[in-house]
Amino acid sequence: MSNYQTHITDVLIIGAGLAGERAAIEASSHGLDSIILSLVPPRRSHSTAAQGGMQASLANCAMGKGDSTDIHFADTVKGSDWGCEQDVARLFCETVPIAVRQMAYWGVPWSRVVAGKKTLPNGQEIEDTKDKEGLITGRNFGGTAKWRTCYTADGTGHTMQYTIDSIVISLGITVHDRMEAISLIHDGEKCLGAVARCLRTGKLNVYIAKATVIATGGYGRLYDASTNAIICEGTGMALALDTGQVPLGNMEAVQFHPTGMVPVWILITEGARGDGGYLLDKNQHRFMPDYEPVKKDLASRDVVSRRMIEHFRKGFGVDSPYGPHMWLDIRHLGAKHIDTNLREIANICRNFAGIDPIKDLIPVRPTQHYSMGGVRINSEGFAYGLKGLFAVGEASCWDLHGFNRLGGNSLAETVVMGMIVGKKIAEYALGATLEYTSDVVEDAAKQQQERIDGLISGRHGREDVFQVRREMEETLMDYVGIFRTGPALQTAVDKLQVLHERAQHLGLRSSGVGANPEVTAALRLPGMIRLALCISYGALQRTESRGSHAREDFPKRDDANWLKRTLAYWPEGAVLPELKYEPVTITELPPGDRGYGESSASSKK
Amino acid sequence: MLDTGISPQRSMGRNPRIDLYLDLAQLISGFLLVGFLWTHMVFVATIIIGADTFNSLAQFLDDYYLSYVGIPFIGLVALIHVIVVVRRIPNRYQDYWRHARTIMHFDTWTWIFQVVTALGIAILASIHVFAVIMGWPIDADTSAARMHAFWWFYLVLLILGEYHAGFGIYRQFVKWGWIKRKTIGFALKSITVIIVALGLAALWVFVQLGGALR
Amino acid sequence: MSNRTLTFSVFRYNPATPEIKPCMQSYQLKEAGGMTMFVALTKIREEQDPSLMFDFVCRASICGSCAMLINGKPRLACKTLTRDYGTKITLMPLPVFKLIGDLSVDTGTWFRRLSVKTRAWVHTKKEFDPTVLEERMDNATALEIYEPERCIECGCCIAGCATANIREDFLGAAGLNRVARFMVDPRDERSEQEYFEIVGSDEGVFGCYGLMACEDNCPTKLPLQYQLAFVRRKMAVAGLKR
Ligand SMILES: Cc1cc2nc3c(=O)[nH]c(=O)nc-3n(C[C@H](O)[C@H](O)[C@H](O)COP(=O)(O)OP(=O)(O)OC[C@H]3O[C@@H](n4cnc5c(N)ncnc54)[C@H](O)[C@@H]3O)c2cc1C
Ligand code: HEM
Ligand code: HEM
Ligand code: SF4
Ligand code: F3S
Ligand code: FES
Repeated sequence: MSNYQTHITDVLIIGAGLAGERAAIEASSHGLDSIILSLVPPRRSHSTAAQGGMQASLANCAMGKGDSTDIHFADTVKGSDWGCEQDVARLFCETVPIAVRQMAYWGVPWSRVVAGKKTLPNGQEIEDTKDKEGLITGRNFGGTAKWRTCYTADGTGHTMQYTIDSIVISLGITVHDRMEAISLIHDGEKCLGAVARCLRTGKLNVYIAKATVIATGGYGRLYDASTNAIICEGTGMALALDTGQVPLGNMEAVQFHPTGMVPVWILITEGARGDGGYLLDKNQHRFMPDYEPVKKDLASRDVVSRRMIEHFRKGFGVDSPYGPHMWLDIRHLGAKHIDTNLREIANICRNFAGIDPIKDLIPVRPTQHYSMGGVRINSEGFAYGLKGLFAVGEASCWDLHGFNRLGGNSLAETVVMGMIVGKKIAEYALGATLEYTSDVVEDAAKQQQERIDGLISGRHGREDVFQVRREMEETLMDYVGIFRTGPALQTAVDKLQVLHERAQHLGLRSSGVGANPEVTAALRLPGMIRLALCISYGALQRTESRGSHAREDFPKRDDANWLKRTLAYWPEGAVLPELKYEPVTITELPPGDRGYGESSASSKK
Repeated sequence: MLDTGISPQRSMGRNPRIDLYLDLAQLISGFLLVGFLWTHMVFVATIIIGADTFNSLAQFLDDYYLSYVGIPFIGLVALIHVIVVVRRIPNRYQDYWRHARTIMHFDTWTWIFQVVTALGIAILASIHVFAVIMGWPIDADTSAARMHAFWWFYLVLLILGEYHAGFGIYRQFVKWGWIKRKTIGFALKSITVIIVALGLAALWVFVQLGGALR
Repeated sequence: MSNRTLTFSVFRYNPATPEIKPCMQSYQLKEAGGMTMFVALTKIREEQDPSLMFDFVCRASICGSCAMLINGKPRLACKTLTRDYGTKITLMPLPVFKLIGDLSVDTGTWFRRLSVKTRAWVHTKKEFDPTVLEERMDNATALEIYEPERCIECGCCIAGCATANIREDFLGAAGLNRVARFMVDPRDERSEQEYFEIVGSDEGVFGCYGLMACEDNCPTKLPLQYQLAFVRRKMAVAGLKR
């Protein structure tokens, strides 16, 4: 009587970005059968948009000399403002060099060291030595002591995703693209798989697996202005939250990237500043050195973003119909450099803003960029609260990033997690048996079918999907942005609660037949608002400033009370998340000064 | 881990290199024909210098048997050319037509004209060659008479032939070449313009000559 | 700023309702400054017709999802500005690929099949050794590999190519370019003869007429003429050697 198709496998991976596909390779090389689900063909995943690079302490290039896993570790912990798990950071830093070399073995055309003397844009003379020639080189990125960001010209994420996907294809791993997981199947203790809706036909599919992995990327599109792809809607995190069993970690930790291009919010990679570009204000004055004498334009992202807002508030922003912005200047890097190493940026400027960065300044403003928070897992990748559930990549909170992710650490995280967690998934799945009662599965599928039928019949109300959605995006943008205050956050929580209620009464304007996009949006929206509430409510409760979470009413980091991680649960029928806290693991580096940012500036006074 | 195995033979029983050989035959026959046509045009254009030059060139080619080797050889090459390129003429030409009309892409349209001109040449050139051989030997007066009477025939053949040769050889370079499309396109357009101009001049001279004959 | 009203004529067909025949539907929209087809289509969906199917992912010309025929030409809709067009804009789904609905086509399945057919991954007998340094490579070689690797599998070259429209098994420019990427990669140990098996026929490089609609319509501006000619010459030599 079931009107859905059932698929049974060992490992179900929801998400075909770098993290998901890398984990699938690991599972498959342990002889397991796996199925990957994705909203889009794997090579269209958001990972391909990453241009800058991935961090690995190879110490090959001149400016990377003397680099080590220890320095990478210290950078990561400082970057996180001591919010990360130090055992995880350690494991990560030790594994990245292997991961990057494995990617080279599989086919990524990493840019290599070319021996010889070079002059940096700031006039500094450096020399790449003959003994390192042909090894993988690195570029400069924000918040790092050494140049260690490995890259392929201007398409690091693209080449990594294409390479990983080529291995997935060579191994014959099954991929069901245009298949959206819309709920997890579980019995309160164990995760049994997922119910998915086919985005080609609109039909439901049931996937039953020993291990289920959430690899769905970030939630940038909860915000009005985000650098993320439009499919980055946090659906995977919502799936986990909706089980009522699994918590999301540190959802209030939202990264803003200093250089989203106005007004399309397409990212201008940090590589632009790493290669020597800098920010100018309305007087074409280079203002970052005034605030950050050491790291200048390359302080960590949270710091640069806040400094830009500070500078706006002093009246130095360039006015535009889209609000104030700053200029990014890369003209001095020269046509040759821009058209080879920064070609993608040049194209984006030309195509989407009619600007030629060789001659013109680029308008930029801090824009939502990365979600540090996500499905809380332990250091081995097991989700809290449900057996057989794992998470990898941006969707997870492994907690490598704490309250601020370093540029280049997330691509690195996807492949490193794919290796490490992938292995744990495989071990788990090899030891597990597939036990489930068909009632649980039937119920899960029926529940989703009823949601869809309810939307089509309009029996719950006539709220407009896109209207409610837009209000949610604007609420987050206006009240849960870079600088946060108690009253603003309270407003956000109140508004979002109303929106959450309205989202229970969505009705369609179209017929809803087949792969109808309105149904797709309506199914996602309530979960997205719950995520927005986790972010706002978590931020409201956290009465300190840490990394990207900057409370104007609590401008100092408060290690005595807040050296802990927020865990947000959503019990069935709740109207607000239930927050719990857990301590942060500190193994090596006790909390201290980051050496950049507001805390260090004030400590100098 | 990754195997380096070879995919199973797609076309069992069929020589796996047949498509390569056909393509090479297309390349070589195309080059030879274009080489011939351009030389032929230059030869014909010697009439501009004078009927004597034209006649002595014809005489020379005849004396050394160059005509007797050249004509059959070119006939053979043309035959090969026709045989190998016919496979390119789409049997679903309606689809091709619809496609070309939708995307409005220059090189795609020129290819359609490649086929159209080919059919024209096939008819006109056979008549022309037949006429020349029937009226053997080649001689300025005979030619002038023919050209005077059938100048429109030659005009059409000239344009069809040069178009077909020019774009044909352009596409060869595009497919095989190191040379950028823009560069080779420009070079070939220039050559074609020169040859057509030469052809028109010769045609004009012949027509004058033919008129004077009466 | 413009105050034009644009008329979009959009192809409509939903395979879930085969009783409704394919047709063109018109939508009117006020143009905004710097409006791309992405902005326009999103607005049409949100304000006028939520059932309209189309694909965007990165909206930044990186992912290759959004190719469609804009006034007949294959273009990435996300990086096409409305101001470069008149007030009448016709949108059709890409040909060749299987239609999912309205403007959405299944390029994913096509390209995955292409990867399988061309065995588009690095073939090596070496095992990965995590304890040693990476193998050295010239930076120039790395860039040479990266050049064809930049293809975003948008399908514009396939949709634009008359040959690919007529022959179902033709690998097209994207396929041949993909093969070129592995040919220049020293890590791939495949011999010329093995490549010949894959592309040394009319299904592969000898099926290409040199129409160059691929190069002219490639949004990534890949040097496809160069890549196709490179493969053709290499395959000619490989075929003649044996
Ligand atoms: C513009 C930009 C530039 C960046 N540059 C860099 C950089 O230079 N260096 C760096 O380290 N990091 C960078 N990042 C961050 C980095 O790209 C991402 O964090 C990382 O790629 C995330 O990978 P992922 O595998 O976790 O998720 P994604 O690549 O986002 O993949 C998510 C996958 O999940 C699928 N999916 C989602 N929901 C569902 C569902 N419900 N059902 C089924 N499938 C689903 C999607 O289809 C997709 O395949 C950048 C990010 C942005 C926005
Ligand atoms: C192979 C044998 C050929 C011979 C011996 C030959 C010879 C001649 C001669 C003698 C003339 C002068 C006019 C006349 O006498 O009719 C002429 C003119 C011409 N031929 Fe040919 N021809 C040959 C093939 C071709 C072919 C294949 C083409 C086709 C494309 C061609 C195209 C022309 C044209 C266009 C002219 C007119 C030139 C002008 O406009 O000045 N000929 N040819
Ligand atoms: C003097 C006469 C001719 C010359 C100089 C000539 C020259 C050429 C050249 C150089 C090409 C390009 C080949 C390639 O791209 O590989 C070509 C293509 C072609 N020719 Fe001719 N040709 C002549 C006569 C004919 C005739 C009589 C036909 C009749 C059937 C013909 C049919 C074609 C076709 C169909 C093509 C297209 C093939 C392709 O592009 O793949 N040609 N010709
Ligand atoms: S070669 Fe160009 S047009 Fe073809 S799929 Fe790749 S990027 Fe698109
Ligand atoms: S358009 Fe087609 S025929 Fe060849 S040159 Fe490009 S693949
Ligand atoms: S949406 Fe990604 S290329 Fe257009």
